[in-house]
Amino acid sequence: MARFLIEVIGTLSDAGSLFMVAAGLTLIFGAMRVINLAHGSLYMYGAFLMTTFVGASSGLRFWWSIALAAVIVAALGAVMELGIVRFLVGKEPLTQLVATFALFLILADTALHLWGNGARTVVAPSSVSGRFTIAGAVLPVYDLVIIGVAVAVGIGLWALLRHTSVGWRIRAAVDDPEVLESGGVNLRRLNLGVFAVGALLAGIAGAVVTPQVSVAPGMDESIIVTTLLVVVIGGLGSVTGTALAALVIGIADTVGTLVAPTWASTFMYLAVILVLVVRPWGLLGTPER
Amino acid sequence: MPIRHHTPRRLAAGLALLLLAPVAAACSSTSSTASSTASSTSGGSVTVGESTTLSSSIAELGQTALQGLELAVANINAHGGLLGKKVKVVSADDSATPATGASNERSMILNDHVVAMFGPVVSSVASAEEPIAAQYHIPIFFSVSNDIALMTSGFTKYGFQLVPNTVMEPRAAAAYLAHEAGSTQITVGTFAPNYSFGTSSVAGFIQALKDLHVNYKLVSQQFPPLNATNIAPYLSALIAAHPEYVYNAQFGGDLVSFTQQANQYGFFQHTKMIAMYSAQPLEALGSSAPAGAIGFDRAPFWLAGQQGMDGPGISAFISQFKAKYGDYPSAWAIMTYTAAQSWAYGVKKAGTFNGTSVSNALSGATISTIRGPITLRACDHQANVPEYVGVVSSTVDPTYRLRLWDPSSVFIAQPKTIMLTCAQSLALRS
Amino acid sequence: MATSFDQPVGAGHAAGLSDGKSGGAGLRPGGGSDMMPVRRSVVARRIGATVACLAVVSILGVVLPVSSALDLEYVVSLALFAVATNLLLGFGGMVSFGQGVFYGVGAYVVALGWMHHVLSFVEAMLLAPFAGAAVAFFLGLLALRTRRLYFALITLAFSQLGYTIVQDQSSFTGGSNGVFGAMLPSWLLDPRTAFFFVLVVSVVAIAVLWKVTDSPFGLVLRAIRDNRERVDAMGVNVFAHQLAAFVISGFFCAVAGSLFVVYSQSAYPALLEWTSSGTPVFMAVIGGMYLFPGPIVGAFAYQLANTYLIEHTQDWQIILGVVLLAVVLLRPDGLTGSIEGLRSLVRRSGERVRGRHRHGSNGTGPAGPAGGEP
Repeated sequence: MARFLIEVIGTLSDAGSLFMVAAGLTLIFGAMRVINLAHGSLYMYGAFLMTTFVGASSGLRFWWSIALAAVIVAALGAVMELGIVRFLVGKEPLTQLVATFALFLILADTALHLWGNGARTVVAPSSVSGRFTIAGAVLPVYDLVIIGVAVAVGIGLWALLRHTSVGWRIRAAVDDPEVLESGGVNLRRLNLGVFAVGALLAGIAGAVVTPQVSVAPGMDESIIVTTLLVVVIGGLGSVTGTALAALVIGIADTVGTLVAPTWASTFMYLAVILVLVVRPWGLLGTPER
Repeated sequence: MPIRHHTPRRLAAGLALLLLAPVAAACSSTSSTASSTASSTSGGSVTVGESTTLSSSIAELGQTALQGLELAVANINAHGGLLGKKVKVVSADDSATPATGASNERSMILNDHVVAMFGPVVSSVASAEEPIAAQYHIPIFFSVSNDIALMTSGFTKYGFQLVPNTVMEPRAAAAYLAHEAGSTQITVGTFAPNYSFGTSSVAGFIQALKDLHVNYKLVSQQFPPLNATNIAPYLSALIAAHPEYVYNAQFGGDLVSFTQQANQYGFFQHTKMIAMYSAQPLEALGSSAPAGAIGFDRAPFWLAGQQGMDGPGISAFISQFKAKYGDYPSAWAIMTYTAAQSWAYGVKKAGTFNGTSVSNALSGATISTIRGPITLRACDHQANVPEYVGVVSSTVDPTYRLRLWDPSSVFIAQPKTIMLTCAQSLALRS
Repeated sequence: MATSFDQPVGAGHAAGLSDGKSGGAGLRPGGGSDMMPVRRSVVARRIGATVACLAVVSILGVVLPVSSALDLEYVVSLALFAVATNLLLGFGGMVSFGQGVFYGVGAYVVALGWMHHVLSFVEAMLLAPFAGAAVAFFLGLLALRTRRLYFALITLAFSQLGYTIVQDQSSFTGGSNGVFGAMLPSWLLDPRTAFFFVLVVSVVAIAVLWKVTDSPFGLVLRAIRDNRERVDAMGVNVFAHQLAAFVISGFFCAVAGSLFVVYSQSAYPALLEWTSSGTPVFMAVIGGMYLFPGPIVGAFAYQLANTYLIEHTQDWQIILGVVLLAVVLLRPDGLTGSIEGLRSLVRRSGERVRGRHRHGSNGTGPAGPAGGEP
């Protein structure tokens, strides 16, 4: 039982951070039909900015550092949208992939100049860096923080999409941008907003996970493949599907390690293939997008 | 150093050729093929090359090693050069990819006419580079990658190993444990990413425990996939087995990340972990460095003055390095510096830059380096360097302002006790 | 009857994984241009150009210093990799990020055949393409259930799956360290011989791929790309054609992989990884995926520039990034597309304003025409 609880919480916290990154990517894809390979870079920038703001101290500063890092990443996203991504809307996906991969390279090299090549860490405030015991299982409090932030992000997104006029426009853009534009909606401004929100989510995820990882170059690369896979098995453009998919990936990972350790790393990819073979448009995707 | 392939970052095409597009299309151009700036050995200078990993997550190792080489060469030049010639360094990023490393090396040898090569970070890249060095009769010095195979199955007379190899390092850790445990029974767990270096390092550690007749009981062995983000299942399995000691074959950023997560489970309260807690991960961890854990390191700058770190000029080197690069020298920088010193010694002894003569001169030679005398033994060209083990301190070192090791705990594993015998090494060659 | 060599293979903007708008009657303008007969003189000129390029490459292989000749050898094998991948991309409209799997299979068949002493070099070289094709057949059965971006990402998952399997099953594959050693027969040891071996095999393979694209099968493939529904309605088995393309591509990607072993005498897991799979895709995009020789041009530009930058600057990533951005934003049809456009502009302006200043004849600036439109 104790072991089971540890696995469950670990899996949820893993899936939670994955969801936050992937939700931003799927939102951007849904509204703009742009696939952004530099999304992992935004996540990495969130983490690096966090190390800069928190510095050696912790405490209250930790929390506003998350907010500040995320907002700056959102601003960076807005700049990316205005400078480059805007011109990719409506282009072939291959063009988008190459262009955003170029952005990925530029951002990676820039990060190397800004933060160096060594690993950095962030210490969470003592209030959340300890552990608690349930049913004999010793669990990190910070796992609950990650899960909590992920749930909050999920609810926030849901509220934004379902209960605001901006959300209505975004959903309309997902369905049919032409109709929306002829209805007098400024698509450019909407796209800018959506891209910034997507970047914000990546920034939050990057900043929030810092106490559990080492922040170093290469973070961008290691997250982007998994994120792409989560987004695709969730169904491109579907935020709910992304949440489900993050869980599927997390569970596949954990089950793999328990069932067949020497094959563990293959389980995640097998899960992706299985889902797509059974449901070629992802869990909650719509055909012909 | 050991290491995994961190995904090569070469997905992009460079299009410096964009302006040449018409030419390229009309007949695919080769204009840049031969365009590496040729710097010949004539005109009072010679060139040495280092192709190593300078981008992605293991860039720190390659970058600092290159700094060690550049500083060594600067010092050689400041003292009048070698055989009356100035030495120049050419370097290139191998993106942790064997084919790129091999191509860089070939270009350095044939276009830049380098007279010596300094090795890469990743073992597989080193495996690709060693035979090419031999083919062109250029000595190659390994000061970061430390796979035993470089000196056994892949042995060439042009290859030299300045790092404690993958057999020596786990043996040193086991020797420390034997020393600490005495005859009492201890419970042991292991943790390593599931790839060549990780599994062979763990196997070497277990074998060494057997050889040293340590009374141990193996309670849990965890091999998570390389790059696993969620290590909670492995951690919980380890914790559930209650080992007193855990041998961890991770290093750098991965070790830092493991330590952070394990801290949150209270892992270090009941378990002493044995891992490569060298200065860089300890610096990255800062206040969350696990006091009481057992670290090992290949050339710790803060042990300057102790055996194996006590050659002439070691303290001058450290302060010079700090002044020039703003940081203390990593083990990779120190070992690459000694590699350059070894090459310079070989050149002087042979009286020529000819690779075969230099290699012959170095085989079995004892060289005076900043680490003290180092012998590159004739049978497999492995340097007789020690490995350092110590306990992570709970207090900040006043000099370096870092949490390092307790000075009283430092254990220096003697080269002759951790090296394979020549007979064993030769047996592995076939 | 002879169709393109450097004639656009169909609609300039027929998107591989075009979004949204492909349903129903999405007829693309100019979709039939590849069926137009090409004048005899043009054919002769193209054959001449091909022979001339081959001659230049061959001569370079002899006169260049060994390290540059080896770079060239690698580029030639990558050109085959890119052309084989482009059979799916440009001709089939299937964007695969999984061709590294077949490339890796080709390389590993040769390397493991040597390591486990089960295959001679020649046997392994002959077996490698069939192994690649067999793997492609099974993966194609699964992957072709999906389309567009989903197809791109399921193939990417295959790539990562292959990579992790090769890396983890180290007792059989040599694990993350890969396989290195003297795996070439003595007659291939001389670098110049190896160069011509790689060149001949690649040229023959590329010629076969050209015949494939030029065949009725190739026409159907392009028709599927341009309007899948209509081809389907005509009673053509779309799935079978796409699967066949996938298998043929896998076959030739494996040939390229086995040539990698000739070049490097090694095989390692990163050959299967998504970045390796992405390489030929990028080459095709850069060179222009709607022209048969596009990926060849892309391979040369990509690899030579990459090698050059890596050897000359530590900040190669930033430079590559900027140049790449410039290329895809300003030259969406790739280098050959721009050249095609340039050529037609020159031709047109030459016809129109004969005797006056020809504008744009040496214009490599960004103000060129939106190239590639037939």
